[in-house]
Amino acid sequence: MNKWYEKAGNYSDVVISTRIRLARNISKYPFPCRLNSNTKKEVINEIYRALSRPEFKDYNFSCINAWEASLAEIRSLIERHLVSPEFAKADKNKAAFISQNGDISIMVNEEDHIRLQVMKEGLDLEETYNEADKMDTKLDKVLLFAFNEQLGYLTQCPTNLGTGMRASVMLHLPALRRCEMIEKISSSLIKLGLTMRGLYGEGSEPKGDIYQISNQVTLGISEKTALKNLNDITLQIISQERNCRKELAKDIQTIDAICRSVGILKTAKLLNNEDFMRLISNIRLGLSIGVIKGISYDTINEVTINAQPFMLIKAANSELSPLQRDKKRASLINEKMSTVEVL
Amino acid sequence: MLCQSCGKNQANTHIKKVINGELTEYMLCDKCAAKLGYSNIFDGFGFSFDNLLGSFFAANEPKFMPLNNKRCDFCGSSLEDISNTGKVGCSKCYDVFFDQLMPSIKRIHGNTKHAGKYASAVGQENIIKNEIQDLNEKMKVAINEQNFEEAARIRDKINGLKGKEQSNNE
Repeated sequence: MNKWYEKAGNYSDVVISTRIRLARNISKYPFPCRLNSNTKKEVINEIYRALSRPEFKDYNFSCINAWEASLAEIRSLIERHLVSPEFAKADKNKAAFISQNGDISIMVNEEDHIRLQVMKEGLDLEETYNEADKMDTKLDKVLLFAFNEQLGYLTQCPTNLGTGMRASVMLHLPALRRCEMIEKISSSLIKLGLTMRGLYGEGSEPKGDIYQISNQVTLGISEKTALKNLNDITLQIISQERNCRKELAKDIQTIDAICRSVGILKTAKLLNNEDFMRLISNIRLGLSIGVIKGISYDTINEVTINAQPFMLIKAANSELSPLQRDKKRASLINEKMSTVEVL
Repeated sequence: MLCQSCGKNQANTHIKKVINGELTEYMLCDKCAAKLGYSNIFDGFGFSFDNLLGSFFAANEPKFMPLNNKRCDFCGSSLEDISNTGKVGCSKCYDVFFDQLMPSIKRIHGNTKHAGKYASAVGQENIIKNEIQDLNEKMKVAINEQNFEEAARIRDKINGLKGKEQSNNE
């Protein structure tokens, strides 16, 4: 079965993926900030035992312990958006459980005992939430989550109280960026209780014109309402982006940049990640405005993830110098681009 | 841009810190900068984002409260621990320090009462009640949109849940 980043979903010309993340804590333990390494391991074991039960058998979870895993392995999880950058930080008493199809991940002892995350290709907030909700209900039955009627799900940081839900969509917005609309959108989103961030979430830089939009308020607003808000706004941004792209399709400089990107990605022998992200963004744009053909969004999604530094190291199964990485990245993309034609 | 600490005043102090090779940046107003020890450019060691959130917590609290020595009997956190780190120690802390935490929670979310999914901790009965309430709202929306097919489907679901509720009560 293909992983989410090897597929393209609804509105795939603009939306790369949808993600739901639920913050949960087991009521019988204090939150991670008040646990020592022994009790943190106990929490991991407790969740390990829960996930070994028959009702979770179909997910085929594999467990990655932060204290055993290599740096490359953990970094490659971040690049696939399966764990947060926070997960890689100092304290090693953490674990991640990843479902076989790579859609569901459960981070243990990050900011809360449990960060349950479901990811899907394209825009599909309802279905993605339904899957997270199902998993959450099953886990709650076994683990008993901390909850009260007034404050909802109780979390270590009060910013996640209530539903504990962070829903986000990853968008490719090259046209809005070129039209210098991003800042304007970003500040109006704040007024609507949403935020806009870079590729890897909190504090990260936007790379390759990829942005994440997510809900901010979690208390006093139900999951369904929050999802509907996010969905409505996303649809508006999609239509704005598409309108801007129509203008760009007539712009000779944009077309030139796309055609040059095709040339470089087809033939370059060395490609660093920054250049790659910038050029692949042009390819994605070129495909959507009909400047190029011979590649699908699925392939673009897949290669964008697989060309990331630690994914390359993981695939090579050995240490790679930056130069070796740039070479591998170039040959990977040369091959994927071989069928691309400029129209 | 507004100050990242108080969120009220215009930020005019840009702070860059490198800790273990990681760059963090904050924009603060001069009042908050002074409060957090940045009035003098050479001050400010031991400052972290957690403190920022902490200061957010403690902002409106009087300095010496009779509660100061009170600790959560489950995890041992004091209100000071929570203010300093911006992290609540355990679920019980939310009961123990409810009155002290509530103003900050309200400031963060603009709300004080949860809406949405119920966990098993509240009991099956309450979960069903919550689901029925949720479906009732959905049904109203469907009726407003004159989507009567959908409304009928939701009504059947509600009736199913009501049946479940009754059998639970018996």
